[in-house]
Amino acid sequence: MTRSLQRIWPIATNTVREAIRHRLLYTLLFFAVTMIGVAVLIASLSYVEGERIIQDIGLASIRLFSVGIAIFVGIGLIHGEVDRRTIYTILAKPVTRAEFLLGKFVGLLLTVWLQLLLMGLAFVGVSLLVGAPLDLGYAAALFLVGIELMVIVAVATLFSSFSTPMLSAFFTLGIYALGHLSRNLYFLGQEADVENVRRAATFLYRVLPDLETFNVSIQAVHGLPIPATEVGWAVLYGLAYTTALLSLAIYIFHRRDLE
Amino acid sequence: MIWVSWGRDAGSGRVLARDLGGSSRKAGSWNSTGGTEGLRVIEEGASRRRRARFLRGLLGLGVGFLALFVADAVHLRNPPSAQEGLGDAFVPDPAVADLASLGFGAVVADFYWLQAIQAVGGDVRITPELGAHLGKLVDVVTTLNPWVDHPYRFAGIWMTQNEQNVRTANRLLRRGIEIHPGDWRNHYYLGFNHFFYLLENAEAAEVLEGASQLPNAPRYLPRLAARLKSESADLDMASVFLQELLRGTQGEAARESYRSALDEIEVEQRARQLEAARVRFRELEGRDIEAVDELTRGAKPLVGELPSPEPSSLPASLRRGSEWIVDPSNNQIVSTYYGRRYQLHVPASDRERAEGWARERELREAAGR
Repeated sequence: MTRSLQRIWPIATNTVREAIRHRLLYTLLFFAVTMIGVAVLIASLSYVEGERIIQDIGLASIRLFSVGIAIFVGIGLIHGEVDRRTIYTILAKPVTRAEFLLGKFVGLLLTVWLQLLLMGLAFVGVSLLVGAPLDLGYAAALFLVGIELMVIVAVATLFSSFSTPMLSAFFTLGIYALGHLSRNLYFLGQEADVENVRRAATFLYRVLPDLETFNVSIQAVHGLPIPATEVGWAVLYGLAYTTALLSLAIYIFHRRDLE
Repeated sequence: MIWVSWGRDAGSGRVLARDLGGSSRKAGSWNSTGGTEGLRVIEEGASRRRRARFLRGLLGLGVGFLALFVADAVHLRNPPSAQEGLGDAFVPDPAVADLASLGFGAVVADFYWLQAIQAVGGDVRITPELGAHLGKLVDVVTTLNPWVDHPYRFAGIWMTQNEQNVRTANRLLRRGIEIHPGDWRNHYYLGFNHFFYLLENAEAAEVLEGASQLPNAPRYLPRLAARLKSESADLDMASVFLQELLRGTQGEAARESYRSALDEIEVEQRARQLEAARVRFRELEGRDIEAVDELTRGAKPLVGELPSPEPSSLPASLRRGSEWIVDPSNNQIVSTYYGRRYQLHVPASDRERAEGWARERELREAAGR
């Protein structure tokens, strides 16, 4: 186990190094920070609840651009290794395919968490500047964004383990959209008269990621209570779902013909 | 000698010629006549190409500016139209908007909230259609993010053009009460709508009674509810209602409307004092007054001094020397400032409108039966 971690870590750190050289990362990060700042101007259009609007836009920008970075930087990582044929050099060493994949996942996750931290700092800075409230609720909201990103990075890793970057991006975006719709689909399905539709809706709800579990932005901005148990269950759900996705990704990657 | 290529010396920047053999020499050190001539031709060619490149760049820039100018001109010919003019289809169904927001409901709600604010900004006259459009916007806002605070009262303030809009505003206010049960202000606006626009005093009393139990609720609310219950709705009550609304409203247009109603109530209260004195005058003198200032004359004047027929908030520059007269059309004491009396607790026009709505409602109900 420890030896395996020792092999995963260099791949992860190398992935971080590779990712932070990605120009797209900085472009998206720049837009995210700009959006957080521009929120002040947008909020000035409203004569009431301006601080709330600033924080709504700030948190939405963080979530949107983080996912953008996770998807568009993440999808090409494995494909790039195969394309440049560097994967053969790595796999020729005593590194299993599972360790390679996990190293890539951890590296990308660390990269998106790092940029989440930077965006979070920008958010806190703007909030302090306009005198908007900041409390533990915001920390919980940002923490759960980090857990949501972990699931999204796992989805991107799964698709990039067997697909092209373009298709991986398409599939991951699709899963992201469905992940935020799964609750609505479930409730809509339960209203159907046909039993099979209700079953299908339940099945989809259980299989697709329920990404709304990680969305407590509204509660944070409105100062509503966010119970620790709710955060705890969300973290547990995120960890379990990520593990399942990565297991599937490893299974597929093991059987992939890299020639 | 056949010249096949040329270039610049990296150090001096001077043109170098290269022959088939691949040797290169500095232009200045070229000795043969034919070679110097060839070099001159090459330099001229290079210079021409530089000029051509510069002109091409200039042309490209010119085309770019021209395109920008054309785009701007076309853009200006299509002024942005107000979104309410684009029809109701522009505002999505709240359930659809909720689905399509993909977890970004709060920020989509902010987008529609800003649209609602822009729609009533400036000197826009709020037509019944615009009022209905505002209702749709606030419905989307409060569906996507029910925890918003002000939009519920925004609907209460701006959706008063017809009964349907008032009822929609009341539905939104009730949604606000469900989400913020501890906030007395949504109850208050709902009570005001029932009392002022719909003449439903019993409903207004019930709503205000609930509000009076809430934290930070004004202490006069129970009294207001009691008066509404006894159906003795009067000027004082309308005044208290309006003062509270004025205090809690930030939109300048709405504030002005409340201030104006308060001014009318102030003048009406003075007119009622004069009417009371007139009754006593009749009892004492056995005849009616011929002019209002008769109330201040005689051995025992009934009124020490006539009150101002203009609102006290009116700046001196806008005062127009109004006076109290007995209106020959209805034999009432009126201020020439308004030219009419403020009937009961709402302005005459509002009262007529509310009664009109009530009549229409009765007709609809009768047709339904």
